Amino acid sequence: MKVTSLYNKGVFVVTGEVGPVKGAVSRDKNIDPSCSKEARFLQDYVHAVNVTDNQSAVMRLGSLAASIGLKERGIEPIYQLTCRDRNRIALQSDILTAYSLGIDNVLLLTGDHIQLGDHKEAKPVFDLDSVQLIHMAMGLRNGKDIAGNSIENPPDMAYGAVVNPNFVPLELQLMKMKKKVDAGAEFFQSQAVYDADLLERFMEKAAPFGAPVQAGVVVLKSPLMGKFMNENVSGIQVPQSWIDEIASVNKLDRRKKAVEMTARFIRSIKHLVQGVHIMPLGWTDIVPEILKQAEIDIRQSAFNWRLA
Amino acid sequence: MHATIQKPIEEIIRHIQPEEKVFVVGCNNCAWKCHSGGEEETKAMARRLIERDIAVVGYTVPGPQGMSLCKLDHTRKVLQKDYADQTAQADSFLVLGCGQGVHTVIDATDGGMVHPGCDTIFGGETISESDIQEFCSLCGECVIEYTGGLCPMTLCSKQLLNGPCGGAENGYCEVDKERPCGWVLIYERLKKLGRLDLLEPYQKPKNHARWSRPRTLKVSPHEATFCSQAGKVTVNNQI
Ligand code: SF4
Ligand code: SF4
Repeated sequence: MKVTSLYNKGVFVVTGEVGPVKGAVSRDKNIDPSCSKEARFLQDYVHAVNVTDNQSAVMRLGSLAASIGLKERGIEPIYQLTCRDRNRIALQSDILTAYSLGIDNVLLLTGDHIQLGDHKEAKPVFDLDSVQLIHMAMGLRNGKDIAGNSIENPPDMAYGAVVNPNFVPLELQLMKMKKKVDAGAEFFQSQAVYDADLLERFMEKAAPFGAPVQAGVVVLKSPLMGKFMNENVSGIQVPQSWIDEIASVNKLDRRKKAVEMTARFIRSIKHLVQGVHIMPLGWTDIVPEILKQAEIDIRQSAFNWRLA
Repeated sequence: MHATIQKPIEEIIRHIQPEEKVFVVGCNNCAWKCHSGGEEETKAMARRLIERDIAVVGYTVPGPQGMSLCKLDHTRKVLQKDYADQTAQADSFLVLGCGQGVHTVIDATDGGMVHPGCDTIFGGETISESDIQEFCSLCGECVIEYTGGLCPMTLCSKQLLNGPCGGAENGYCEVDKERPCGWVLIYERLKKLGRLDLLEPYQKPKNHARWSRPRTLKVSPHEATFCSQAGKVTVNNQI
């Protein structure tokens, strides 16, 4: 299922996210890789689940293999594809492969830099940037590779992109977002936001581009994590008030508190955006409760879609 | 200029064989500016080698100051005529200059054995006597017309051509919190110049065949021909 089919029906789209395992998938079919286990918690509560591509430049199982794994288990994957490790030949080939294996949604990104990961001496590729990648993907959909050659059975998948509402200067980020829309991006997932006013100001400027936006929500699990994100995760700022609030309860009560905080935030922003993208960073099991408290129930729309 | 930095002395001497007679060659232009192979450093290198029991048969920095080691005819004259006696005894040449300089010494000595004494690190601007910075990656297809002269291939860690990634924070790059995001620099400069419109058009992917190696340039007073895997490009300099 393409997530664009949901947007077209006006559905508020909810997605989650898992990272593939650091390792291979067991040949024993009874052993589920941890990413599939995590994703199972999300099944029936979200429309689709992003599968990250060697996120933070930490080497792992390929995003495509993990995406197919989810698809086989009945969970709709959004296959993330970055420019960091592939030149234009590999990128196009992977897009064709993804479609051929049944993938319906691709999120096209630049990718975190190699220096953030666990293979710092690797050669960064970045042959294309994300705008050029979207352009190229649209070319494939229209039957041409980037060199202008015709291809057989053009792939037809929904193409998503990312945007960072926290970026300063915002005008520069919006300029890039517009280029992505012009190139063919059909939906956006945002970098983690923690500030409803900031998101509102961003959406005022981004809405005229006409592409649906899902607000990115990263579950804050502990005060330490907030501090770590502020120091190490680029492009995200966790406000002190969030850090203080999660610190106000003891460790055992943090899941409950994280549910409450995340749900409250989603309630406060859901009128601004066309969906949410929840990044639970391993705490996938609390996502159903977050959505319940945020008063979002996708089952109705998911059910409708299955009927359709 | 080509920025160079000397290799650690232990690494240099590790590759010199017992009894090997070495002639040290510096460069009076870029390596002189980098204090990696000017007159003082070349003389000091000869001393440092001798202190480590290496047989040094001579040293020179083809001059005058400002003369590049990579100017083959000059370097050949210096090594084969001016220093003929000493270079005739040499088993090898330790070159304190960039990789182009090392190759110049191979040519100037008709195939002599060489040891690179430096790491060649980038092509840079001499900001001051003590500060050299990189602003161009020699990509062969210059795109800085639309970025106000600031190179995204060099100043952006991901070499993005259509704007920033989402990673910059407070104007600094996601890769290095001490270095400004190249795209924020480009934006601020164009904003000041009132030319943010330059950033609007889509920039197509680079032709990396123009960044193939090795590349050649044939020049004359009226035209130049650049040859890369992207083919030959000839440009007239006069009309
Ligand atoms: S675009 Fe290429 S040639 Fe121009 S400054 Fe940058 S690296 Fe140098
Ligand atoms: S933060 Fe800026 S300089 Fe660094 S990779 Fe991103 S766009 Fe390039």
